[in-house]
Amino acid sequence: MDIDLSPDDLKFRAEVREFLSSSAYKPGADYGKWRDEWFAKAKAKGGWDVPKWPKEFGGPGWTPTQHYIWEQETAQATLPWDMPFGIGMLAPILMGYGSKEQQERFLPDIRARKVNWCQGYSEPGAGSDLASLKTKAVLSEDGKYYTVNGTKIWTTAAHMADWIFCLTRTQDTGVRQEGITFLLFPMKQPGIEVKPIITLGGAHSVNTVYITDVKVPVENRIGEEGKGWTYAKGLLQHERTGLAGISRSLVALEKLKEHAASVKRGNATLMDEPAFRAKVAALEVDLMALEFTELRSLAAAAKGGALGPESSIMKLKGTEIQQRIAKLTVEAGGIYAAGWGMPIGAKFARGGMASYLASRAYTIYGGASEVQKDVIAKNVLGIRSSQK
Amino acid sequence: MNFNYTDEQQLLSDSVERFVAENYDLEARKKIVDGEPGFSREHWRSMAELGWLALPFAEADGGFGGTQVETMILMESFGKGLVVEPYVASIVLGGGALRRGGSKALKEKLMPGVIDGSVQLAFAYAEEQARFDLEDVVTAAKADGDGFVINGAKSVVQNAATATHIVVSARTSGGQVDTNGITLFLVDAKADGIERYDYPTVDGLRASEVKFKNVRVGKDAVLGDVGKGFEILNAVANDGILALSAEAVGAMEVLYKDTVAYTQERQQFGHPLSDFQVLQHRMVEMFMEYEQCKSLLYRATMETANDSPTAQRTIHALKHLVGRAGIFVAENAVQLHGGMGMTEELRIGHYFKRIVVIDSVFGNTDHHLKKFAA
Ligand SMILES: Cc1cc2nc3c(=O)[nH]c(=O)nc-3n(C[C@H](O)[C@H](O)[C@H](O)COP(=O)(O)OP(=O)(O)OC[C@H]3O[C@@H](n4cnc5c(N)ncnc54)[C@H](O)[C@@H]3O)c2cc1C
Repeated sequence: MDIDLSPDDLKFRAEVREFLSSSAYKPGADYGKWRDEWFAKAKAKGGWDVPKWPKEFGGPGWTPTQHYIWEQETAQATLPWDMPFGIGMLAPILMGYGSKEQQERFLPDIRARKVNWCQGYSEPGAGSDLASLKTKAVLSEDGKYYTVNGTKIWTTAAHMADWIFCLTRTQDTGVRQEGITFLLFPMKQPGIEVKPIITLGGAHSVNTVYITDVKVPVENRIGEEGKGWTYAKGLLQHERTGLAGISRSLVALEKLKEHAASVKRGNATLMDEPAFRAKVAALEVDLMALEFTELRSLAAAAKGGALGPESSIMKLKGTEIQQRIAKLTVEAGGIYAAGWGMPIGAKFARGGMASYLASRAYTIYGGASEVQKDVIAKNVLGIRSSQK
Repeated sequence: MNFNYTDEQQLLSDSVERFVAENYDLEARKKIVDGEPGFSREHWRSMAELGWLALPFAEADGGFGGTQVETMILMESFGKGLVVEPYVASIVLGGGALRRGGSKALKEKLMPGVIDGSVQLAFAYAEEQARFDLEDVVTAAKADGDGFVINGAKSVVQNAATATHIVVSARTSGGQVDTNGITLFLVDAKADGIERYDYPTVDGLRASEVKFKNVRVGKDAVLGDVGKGFEILNAVANDGILALSAEAVGAMEVLYKDTVAYTQERQQFGHPLSDFQVLQHRMVEMFMEYEQCKSLLYRATMETANDSPTAQRTIHALKHLVGRAGIFVAENAVQLHGGMGMTEELRIGHYFKRIVVIDSVFGNTDHHLKKFAA
């Protein structure tokens, strides 16, 4: 065991820092143009535009430590706006289970950030119990296409998406995990209606997607018919580790301290108030531990292949930590908590309420916390329930 | 000791329950909140007709001579419907300052209007640097001729946009955080030198940042004695805490009960969610926290109504618990509703937002724990 970075890692870190500072956004510049150029430059570095992709698909093939360094350094920098659905969620599925044609057809556009994807899993009746999904896909008699009917809900960014990756039911075998088929289809076509859902505080990011008689060619099916659940499950692990947001929380915590220290209390500041200080300190302790839980898990994964069940710990603890930071930011805002976005009180407090409200969803999506704990009980602790 | 309502209190409770049930479903509330002036003038008139605007005022002033207990009964039901009419701002706070500190002449002039609803008040006490400390007052009133000139800024003043009069705390002597030297003034809301920035708050109410720039008032605008306003200010804030806590308790009741109902309807994994023990226990905790808040609410309200020497400490305990437990109940109500809890469409989220805001008014949970332990 050795906690120090090796000379190679230090060299790598310097290179990352150099890259991030030389490619940083300059205020006033054309954002879209900068974004395109940034991804192009990152690609030229040897796959830095897709850090998590494996080497054979053009990724950088970093070691766990290099990934950790990248996360740490990029959390401090302003990175171009990026959606996780294509790059982080669908791409690994395509690489693992898609055909060569599908990989060639979809991966380049995902990588170029040219096509926006959304994730069509949840349904009104299938949330935590995703396997009970009912959106029906019926194969045509000539075997050339599926006809899809059903309703997806909570679909993030469906209103901005070009394509959807969608879990559908092709068979009712009695075992709910069977008979699920993984389909890809365009969003901009007749038969697809997207209705906004407004969340707390008035934001529009999620939608209901109504799918009526949409025809999907069989070439757009990932893997075998009826095996979609297996493919999706692998993807959920990727989603969950991504949701822990550890390095972002480290940065957010520093910001929180800074903000709290800017709130004057007599000759001292809010950071000097024992109750507030203790809460911030407890957060920092949990975050320090979680940082190493992630490193241990990445190291284990590097040796053994698949991401372990630690990804569930990370999602649970990581999202809780994000919520606590958001809550403390509201508390630091004091009397201005109610103001949300209005030009009143300290600047930092203005976005506090909106972030706090949004943060409540972190323990709901990507596997609600209660259900994640069931997964750990079963898969990690090996507890076999006698009930069911 | 007796926890039963009197016949009159029971009548009050029944009539306000009915009012909320008839007028405050989510749709109706949304319409009111989205419109101008952010509350219903018609409801406000009904409240006057039902006598609610007269509740806490002395009979000699034309009121019903009620105590904090009557206000609690009203506010707890208001909390169940998230009522947005400016009862707290105008009657509990502004009215509370007027009834405690107003001269005979001032009361004769304004009380009839407060009680019939034509006069509306706002209570401008909070300042940015003060955070939750009532005594931290920078807004200054300088004696000038036979009156005063007020300069300063007040934050998150509820109902300032529709108030006809604003009660403002200002420093007439002493240092920034001295309790001595604070004076309360009742100012015409249209007075020269008052500037407002109005905005909706996240919980569906309205508030304003209010600037006072060389605002002139006469001696007759002083509530209580010059330099001795803190006592009134603190008593009014205590009434405000009791009223908001009652509202929060009403909101907590809706939150836990809606959650119990929802989890029995919603099916996942072939079971109603309420079959899962971890959720049962969570809901039991929500219920217990609600009951605990209600107990402290009763305790603090009755002690205050009886002028008990322990009332102040119990009020600190109450506001601390309502912040801590209220947010626990609210966050878990959202959590147990899953994605649905995050939507504006269900009422859960609206109660959640209100409870979070209540924690930020008149001192949050940490502030009052510190005062309680001091
Ligand atoms: C902001 C947001 C964005 C989202 N984006 C997407 C998206 O892009 N694509 C997509 O497909 N989905 C998305 N979702 C949906 C998300 O995955 C679901 O909300 C989640 O799976 C929970 O399902 P549900 O909302 O139906 O809650 P439910 O499953 O009804 O759960 C409600 C509550 O019951 C608990 N519970 C459920 N089962 C059990 C059990 N067995 N034991 C104990 N407790 C249990 C849960 O933990 C939760 O607290 C999003 C959701 C939100 C809020």
